[in-house]
Amino acid sequence: MKRYAYYQSCINESMTKEVDRSIDLWQKDLGIEMVKMHESACCGGSNLDFVSPKHFALVNARNIALAEKQGLDLVVSCNTCLMTIRTAKKKLDESVELKREVNEILGKEGLEYRGTSQVRHLLWVLIDDVGLDTIRKKVKTPLSKLRIAPFYGCHILRPSSVLGKDDPLEPTSLDLLLDALGGKSIPYEHKNRCCGFHTLLVAEEESLNVAAEALREAMEAKADCIVTPCPLCHTVLDGYQAKALRQSGLRGSIPVFHLSEVVGLALGYSERQLGIRRHIVTV
Amino acid sequence: MSDTTIQHHVESRDVTFRVHRFNPQVDSKPYFDDYTIKLEKGITVLRALNYIKEHVDSTVTFRAFCQAGICGSCAMRINGISKLACTTQVWDELDRSRETGIIRIEPLRNLPLIKDLVVEMDPLVGKMKKHSNWVDSRMPEDEWGKKEFLISEKEFLTYDKATDCILCASCVSECTILRAHQEYVSPAVLLKSYRMNVDSRDGIHDQRLAGLVKDHGVWDCTHCYRCQETCVKHIPIMDAIHGIREDAIERRGTKDTSGARHAEAFMDDIAKKGKLVEATLPIRTNGIAWTVKNLLPMAFKMVLKRRTPPPPPLVKASKGIDALRKEFREMTGHVTKDHQKKSGE
Repeated sequence: MKRYAYYQSCINESMTKEVDRSIDLWQKDLGIEMVKMHESACCGGSNLDFVSPKHFALVNARNIALAEKQGLDLVVSCNTCLMTIRTAKKKLDESVELKREVNEILGKEGLEYRGTSQVRHLLWVLIDDVGLDTIRKKVKTPLSKLRIAPFYGCHILRPSSVLGKDDPLEPTSLDLLLDALGGKSIPYEHKNRCCGFHTLLVAEEESLNVAAEALREAMEAKADCIVTPCPLCHTVLDGYQAKALRQSGLRGSIPVFHLSEVVGLALGYSERQLGIRRHIVTV
Repeated sequence: MSDTTIQHHVESRDVTFRVHRFNPQVDSKPYFDDYTIKLEKGITVLRALNYIKEHVDSTVTFRAFCQAGICGSCAMRINGISKLACTTQVWDELDRSRETGIIRIEPLRNLPLIKDLVVEMDPLVGKMKKHSNWVDSRMPEDEWGKKEFLISEKEFLTYDKATDCILCASCVSECTILRAHQEYVSPAVLLKSYRMNVDSRDGIHDQRLAGLVKDHGVWDCTHCYRCQETCVKHIPIMDAIHGIREDAIERRGTKDTSGARHAEAFMDDIAKKGKLVEATLPIRTNGIAWTVKNLLPMAFKMVLKRRTPPPPPLVKASKGIDALRKEFREMTGHVTKDHQKKSGE
């Protein structure tokens, strides 16, 4: 059983609880254990870095140091947490002064940021550590009837100088996983584009236009559903779906699944067990 | 059997360019023309387009000049991504093509189309003028031309990368928010604005900043990083956008725009609870009236699905919050000292 320090994203603790609930269900089936980090703090959600770069470095150095104390890699299931914590790690690893300043403060709590733990997305762990062949063998209910529109979201891809796992404009990792789960992923332009989440409260009209474009393309490509590895993308594409489509004069609806839910479905868990009925768009 | 030591073999093949066509004087809507030509490996997309124009169809219209990645004229979407035709290898694009042997050539997005692959740059230039994308010199006019206005190398390094911008508009074409609203300031203008605002010779910093924080300004960027990822000069454009935001919060506080208030809420919540209190985030960003009008109908659906974020008293602070609060306060002391040092310089 390979263990990971599991970083609990704010949104998964409040609005998208089904993400952690589904991971809890199937993690042992795939030989992994996500050890929840109860002492970690909000990463700053791609906002704290320009309010106060030094507090941003401190909070995320502490988050990573908590994982390092356990000797585990830090795993997240939210794209923006991934990008944010990795951005902080890059800054800390590139600046001896910043690392020293932060460690002077963390030292009083018995913590030290060393830079030894990697910061990874759940999707990457499934592909690189569990392996697609293993996942294929564990599938009980292949997603073979589904035409799936994969929606990567931005912060698992870009900036590539911080993420660096997939091609930032031509990604494949989610497609590969969906294939291993027996699903058919369909091509459409918006799959590597933005959901609009980060301006939802600042420029709502623009954000909903962005979301509507993604939904329209997925529906026009005759997808049965959208799958995303990011709960923020899910919140827009599912929670704001009706509003976004209405604003753009579009009709119809399309279910949106979390990555962790489709893994659960393929491993034989029910919609009720996985919390899928909590979605706003009826599945 | 050929002797490879003396024969020089050049790889060549037929390549089809599927080119976007539109002449507003004749066509009711855009269409695509396919041009198949035999090419050798090593040729750029621009050279291929020049060949098509000279030998196959002289009506194909595109902009190009320097052929060396300097002037920025030949930016276009090649296989869906905005880039310079003159620095893009045909063979690289063949690897990226969705349809074997076919390279798709389209005009930039988010700018009005003039003809085929040529777009109107005036909207971008207009925004650059609106935000005074030049150094408005602090030097008195009667001293102009009589002495140099020097900057330190240390200062130059803060905007060295930003000066690499060649205004090709690839970032403009790829911008998510510009596609959603044409009034958005655009990444290129934010980059230039940042570059001018950190230049010590400039005298209109506060005025320029005040314009950038208005509607359709710097706070509308949705952090998708497409501008940065597709920049043909590899400029970290998001650093400039974040730089303007940091500057805006430092100099103007967080009260004048919803974007700044939104960002500040993260800082407050982490300092108090170690996690975000999402239930009140819309109110703290936009006020009660906006929240009731915009989010109340959706809130009912969310209640039914038990999807509402918990109210503030029910958001449990992170375990070990006392230590975090103490550390946060200590870092606040460091930041205060930094600001004092900076303002004393």
